[in-house]
Amino acid sequence: MTRESLALQQGELLRALLAGGQPPAGFDPERIAAQTRALLAKRRRVVAMIRPDLAEALGDRFALTFTAYAVDHPRLAGSRAREDAEAFGTWLVDQGELAAPRRSWWRRAR
Amino acid sequence: MRTVTAPHLGVGIGWRPEIDLTVERLPGVDFVEVVAENLHPGELPESLRLLAERGLPILPHAVSLSLGGADPVDAARVEHLAAVAETVRAPLVSDHVCFVRAGGLDAGHLMPVPRTREALEVLVANVKQAQRLLPVPLALENVAALLDWPGAELTEGQFLAELVERTDCWLLVDVANLHANARNLGTDPVEFLTAIPLERLAYVHVAGGVEREGLYHDTHAHAVQHEVLDLLGELCSRTKPPGVLLERDDEYPTDEELAAELTAIREVLS
Repeated sequence: MTRESLALQQGELLRALLAGGQPPAGFDPERIAAQTRALLAKRRRVVAMIRPDLAEALGDRFALTFTAYAVDHPRLAGSRAREDAEAFGTWLVDQGELAAPRRSWWRRAR
Repeated sequence: MRTVTAPHLGVGIGWRPEIDLTVERLPGVDFVEVVAENLHPGELPESLRLLAERGLPILPHAVSLSLGGADPVDAARVEHLAAVAETVRAPLVSDHVCFVRAGGLDAGHLMPVPRTREALEVLVANVKQAQRLLPVPLALENVAALLDWPGAELTEGQFLAELVERTDCWLLVDVANLHANARNLGTDPVEFLTAIPLERLAYVHVAGGVEREGLYHDTHAHAVQHEVLDLLGELCSRTKPPGVLLERDDEYPTDEELAAELTAIREVLS
């Protein structure tokens, strides 16, 4: 029983912080908002570190674009930070925010 | 069963690839800590091999075990930590009293656990399982929080004391996190230091942070605030910590500034 109820509580909190869920009962909504911003900023910093080309290509739009992406695409358990950064890059191309990267013919044939 | 005393460590700094040369040449560094998830067992960076040859203890510090999480312990993550510990011949390893993953999501950060009996049961079971897979003792660290769970049944100090009592783990006390929680949640640092079993203190973390919009953020990217050194002093008035380690993870300052922060730590210890 113990694990199940703790799993529900922790899952509800992370959904609120990472995926736009409702703040769980008993939490200070302002602190939820502050923690949400801090987690988003940390995730964005990690993505910019792994894919500086994306941050550079987006320039001033990087922060807002990443915020728009992040809430609909929370990082999934078991994923690596690099996969998270690559997924953002793919999303940017799919959204038409960035042109598809040009790959050299010798790298394409893998 | 209990190891009577923790190994003496001295004053150390978190080794990071960005400051590898700095760490090598900083005077008076007695030990280093490495983020276990960033290393491949068996293929150490040259800089760490050099530090190991000098005889410096290298302590693997994990950030992803999520031992406070409701999900079952991920044995592969613990085995990776164990393999890193074997590679660097570590006297002990550490992670945090926190959860990182839940409900299929990854917070990418060390989240506080509810201070309830129920959460403690789960944490104790997870810690015991991790200990069975580890070749060396495990120390657990208090985290910095921006928010608090409702319905706490124990203070943070009582929660950690009971964790030690039931798992025989060691404690890694982060005085910057203690400051953060005092500032953000109203935790009483003196009560915390009174409640925890200081004889189980493995070492201490010191780090920098910044005050923003009325909250203290434990950034590891800013200078160490004097309140944090004051808390180190408060701790040292109660016990002689086996080791104290400075953590810096971003916005790296000059070598001189890092050396000055280590000097400030030594002055508190003396």
